[in-house]
Amino acid sequence: MAGGGDPKWQKDAADQNFDYMFKLLIIGNSSVGKTSFLFRYADDSFTSAFVSTVGIDFKVKTVFRHDKRVKLQIWDTAGQERYRTITTAYYRGAMGFILMYDVTNEDSFNSVQDWVTQIKTYSWDNAQVILVGNKCDMEDQRVISFERGRQLADQLGVEFFETSAKENVNVKAVFERLVDIICDKMSESLDADPTLVGGNQKGQRLTDQPQGTPNANCNC
Amino acid sequence: MGSSNIELKAGWSSSKTNEPLRPEEQEAIISVIRRNEEIEIAERQRVGRLVERVEKIKLHAVERGPNCCRLCGDAFGLLRPQRILCEDCRKAVCTKCSVDINIRYHNSERTREIWLCRICSETREMWKKSGAWFFKGLPNYDMPVRSASASNTPTTTPTAGGGGGGAVAAYGKAGAGKGARAVQSCHGTPARGGRIKKLTIRVNDTSSSSASNSSASGQSEPEEDQLDGAKSNTAGVVGATSGSAPGNGTANDSSDRQRLQRDESFRLRAYGSIRSFIDGGERKLSNSFFFGRQANPNAGSRQADGQDYDNISNASTVAQLRREGSFMRRSSVSSSWSFSDSSGSGNSATQTTQNPQQQKQQQQQQQQHCRDPLLGWLELAISYRESFHSLDCTLVRARDLPAMDASGLADPYCKVNIVTPEGHTKYTRWQRTKTVHKTRNPDFNETLQFVGVEPEELGNSLLYVALFDDDKYGHDFLGAAKVCLSTVHSTSQYRISVPLGAEDQYSAEAEMSQSWPNGKMLISLCYNTKRRALVVNVKQCINLLPMDNNGSSDPFVKLQLKPDAHKNKKHKTSVKWRTLNPVFNEEFYFEASPHDLNKEMLILTVWDKDLGKSNDFLGSLQLGAQSKGDRLQQWLDCIRLPDHFHEKWHCLASDNPTH
Repeated sequence: MAGGGDPKWQKDAADQNFDYMFKLLIIGNSSVGKTSFLFRYADDSFTSAFVSTVGIDFKVKTVFRHDKRVKLQIWDTAGQERYRTITTAYYRGAMGFILMYDVTNEDSFNSVQDWVTQIKTYSWDNAQVILVGNKCDMEDQRVISFERGRQLADQLGVEFFETSAKENVNVKAVFERLVDIICDKMSESLDADPTLVGGNQKGQRLTDQPQGTPNANCNC
Repeated sequence: MGSSNIELKAGWSSSKTNEPLRPEEQEAIISVIRRNEEIEIAERQRVGRLVERVEKIKLHAVERGPNCCRLCGDAFGLLRPQRILCEDCRKAVCTKCSVDINIRYHNSERTREIWLCRICSETREMWKKSGAWFFKGLPNYDMPVRSASASNTPTTTPTAGGGGGGAVAAYGKAGAGKGARAVQSCHGTPARGGRIKKLTIRVNDTSSSSASNSSASGQSEPEEDQLDGAKSNTAGVVGATSGSAPGNGTANDSSDRQRLQRDESFRLRAYGSIRSFIDGGERKLSNSFFFGRQANPNAGSRQADGQDYDNISNASTVAQLRREGSFMRRSSVSSSWSFSDSSGSGNSATQTTQNPQQQKQQQQQQQQHCRDPLLGWLELAISYRESFHSLDCTLVRARDLPAMDASGLADPYCKVNIVTPEGHTKYTRWQRTKTVHKTRNPDFNETLQFVGVEPEELGNSLLYVALFDDDKYGHDFLGAAKVCLSTVHSTSQYRISVPLGAEDQYSAEAEMSQSWPNGKMLISLCYNTKRRALVVNVKQCINLLPMDNNGSSDPFVKLQLKPDAHKNKKHKTSVKWRTLNPVFNEEFYFEASPHDLNKEMLILTVWDKDLGKSNDFLGSLQLGAQSKGDRLQQWLDCIRLPDHFHEKWHCLASDNPTH
């Protein structure tokens, strides 16, 4: 499970040649396919065998986006509740969340709301979320329609994708979109930071004058 | 959203049993954490390099005031570089040292072009690259070269551990060594050490493969030894909690702790806006503190957060509290550099509510600090001895003071007084520290004692500290700070780091309290480009020394531009008879190229004309590139903005430079 010996991982993890580092977290009920999703994205591999993630795991992948190299540290979390305290510990460092449910599993869909609550509780306010309905290749067993997923996403105010880790549908798109959203947030936060702009404009007038004038009219 | 915990549990997972983690599970998790550790170390170093990069640029900035480019020092003018105001720092820069970037309004597709000085554009980059934009403050980082700049690894060790002992000791278990360490590594390492250690403990508790694990962690973190004292304290706490809730409880514990630690690290670093960084690099810690106040909403959310915690993982509230306690302690110690009394307040609900007043003050302070140009930081320690009715004020150090001479240094000293509730200074005599020469980061370490301070006075009095640059020809204002004394108790030393603000009535008073027996002179300088000459207008003098029997003098002024190889750069004014406040208004021309002026010194001496015997010396003034403060400013202004008169008052010194 832990990809410690993986040479590719080693290479990516040690690679310091990047501009931004984003930490992403994949959350969702047990067995919705979080680990598969990550493996598909990071290693382009898939296995149908189910091995429950122990606590947490992560993979590192560097992507090229908008002329910037973005190093992604993608955390894969255990869906099982017994690891919850461990997994929630990593919410706070995460800039983006992939909230995943299984389109063939009603329970996992119903839990989305609870996961959102978890995010709200533990993460930073400005963390970005994407809702993902996984296993969309299993049309015959589908119980959650695309429409339901999209409605929920609208309701939550997040973006929505249906994916398949097995068939490699939309996997890359999800990560790229999430990176884009975070990048947008980043430029927004700096370029339109109200405290920044407001504080400075106020500061401008008061900063610029006193330095120049007081000595000129000081007759002491 | 409001879903209750019952729902959470019901709707959720396949395994609801809270069985403890099995050894192999622990190992798996530990190995992941280790891998993450490596990444985080690399990340800290990377952020450190980013920070260093900005610091280096800052280091090379000349900061000569609004008329010159903050980076290269080029003066602005008609034929000179265009003056551009940096969007972020609002300081003037030239086109060479700035970049224009297009930014998008975030609710429209429109873009807007803004100019940023190189420092601010790099700061923005750093803000992005380090993730600080997200966490509202720089995450932990390790500076690549510790000695890169002395104040980056604040040399607070003795005071934080020892001098700060009063405050630190109040926090009991967190030992002095730890305090020093925590302060030193504001680019904090504690998270790392604590985490590994804690894991080791966890393994010990479940008594499996403890030896291998602990040794492994020991190997991987050899440098953490110095932290051991403190760690064993926290370890004690962990041990206690894990005792009460074994297995899952400990895992719990570790994650909680990690979370807390992470919180901690962010809290320590900044929480502030990017502006805190723009304002200054080396004073990060204190800055972060003051901007940290702004993060009260955050503190609030964390409270809520903490409560939720208790609901979700009922591990043990006591343990949690204790844990928070221990972390509070940690943060208190670490930020004792700034505000030992309340630094934990962002951290725990109780403390936040305890000191609303104090916070308000701090907010005010902070607001003020946002408004005014930042003139550096002053760190002081105040204690009150009730038995002696004496207030001991230790001026510990100041940081990032404005430069006053051409080499970018100053000779700062402090003048201190107490401001009564009525707004008057309590003592007519301002106490002053010794001058620390040739530095912008002086360590004063000097205690000034104010006697006759009644305990009830403390509540609404202010301690006022003004910093000046020591110079023969006038003491230039460097910065001033007010400290509210209401938080000073007789029991413990109160350490505080305050931003230095602009001049006000008290600083003027402090300056006035300085006696200048030789009087002052008003000089106007102009470089005339047509005649290629320096025009010196000796305007007037005031308060000259009386030298004659009639209580007056007959002053005149001699001028010489040195070096003066041919002795032809000398002039003198007419004599003004029987006055101590002569008005000359006489102009003199010294032929010189602007380039020469950079190496020359104008020496003015005031003399009392005596007939039949030698003239008496009344005072002197030197202006040139080697002068300091206002003198230097005037000299440079005159060179940089030619064909304009630059007028300033200067004090006269009693030594005769022509001798």
